[in-house]
Amino acid sequence: MENKGFLREFIENNITRRLIPKGLSWFGCMGGLSLLAFIIQLSTGIFLMFYFIPTTKDALTSIQYVSHSVPYGWLIQRIHAIGPHMMIAMVLSHMLRILFRGIYRHPRELHWISGACLLILTFLMYYTGSKLSVHNGNEHFTVHLIYFYALHVIGIPLAVAFSMGMHFFMVRKTGIYEPL
Amino acid sequence: MANIVSKKLSNHVFTMRDYTKDKKPEELEPFFPNEILRHCIVTCFFIAIEFIAVIVFPLPWKFVNKPDHIPWFFLPIYKLHELIQNDVLFTVLLIFGALLFILWPFYTDGRKCNVPSFDDRHSRYMKKSNNLWQRPILFSIVITVIIFVITLCFINP
Ligand code: HEM
Repeated sequence: MENKGFLREFIENNITRRLIPKGLSWFGCMGGLSLLAFIIQLSTGIFLMFYFIPTTKDALTSIQYVSHSVPYGWLIQRIHAIGPHMMIAMVLSHMLRILFRGIYRHPRELHWISGACLLILTFLMYYTGSKLSVHNGNEHFTVHLIYFYALHVIGIPLAVAFSMGMHFFMVRKTGIYEPL
Repeated sequence: MANIVSKKLSNHVFTMRDYTKDKKPEELEPFFPNEILRHCIVTCFFIAIEFIAVIVFPLPWKFVNKPDHIPWFFLPIYKLHELIQNDVLFTVLLIFGALLFILWPFYTDGRKCNVPSFDDRHSRYMKKSNNLWQRPILFSIVITVIIFVITLCFINP
């Protein structure tokens, strides 16, 4: 009974009865789109993890296997490859809007810091991911490939989750920047 | 106990800015469905563009003379590396640049502009507009950096 009340109150306060300032700009959706792009990368990435083999010998072959032999594998692999370009374009536009409108100023400094960390982490995510499909036969590189793989699927995502948590927590606390 | 925990959660951790406190009702609109609809529309657009990109764009995408493995957003960094030709200096510059970027609000935030002053047009106390183009020095720094980054993409060191 208590839980039902809590859930209903939560939905009413956060969605159905919530009021927001009138006339928010469409550009304000860039942050949401960055999140959407991230979720797309996350879900397609989890799918690819089931097939990817992080050794120099098998990495490229396993990617080719997903693209050619798994049903809709080509689509998911292509989305995961094109997605970062879209995500970085969205995050950069979001950042430029914040910069030019001066929304990073007090009391939103921590939004900026967590956001800037997110941008850098997104770049690192791309960098480590791009190393996974490089064909390189020497044994020394296998060790590097596993490093890059570990960073790409666990290390950086954990840092991203932490920064995103902080980012959204801050945005909720201060509310979004209001138009004049 | 569960009640106390859920109250604490909703009162503290999930606290959200309440716009109804400092705004007149005519300055507000419902989050649902207005804002949700806005997000649904841009989401559909985004997914459509992503699908078109998946089908149309060849990877790697080449718009200026660059090696295939360098994407457009790493191009300025790659060209800078070619220009500097010194790994230590390049790494120091990157770290310094990243720090300047992360700490931007702390050395540019003019607290003076944060104090609300009486605005005749809206006849109430408001903070001065935060737009960058109303702060000429900062604006010119940002534009110079942007032009520098774009120029880097096109030079051939
Ligand atoms: C993965 C990357 C990112 C995601 C998913 C993300 C997501 C969001 C979302 C959903 C919002 C709330 C709505 C909005 O104003 O768009 C927001 C607000 C904000 N973001 Fe980001 N963001 C990201 C990166 C960044 C970056 C790179 C910066 C700046 C360096 C930044 C700075 C801010 C600021 C200052 C706000 C507050 C805006 C306001 O109060 O209106 N974010 N972010």
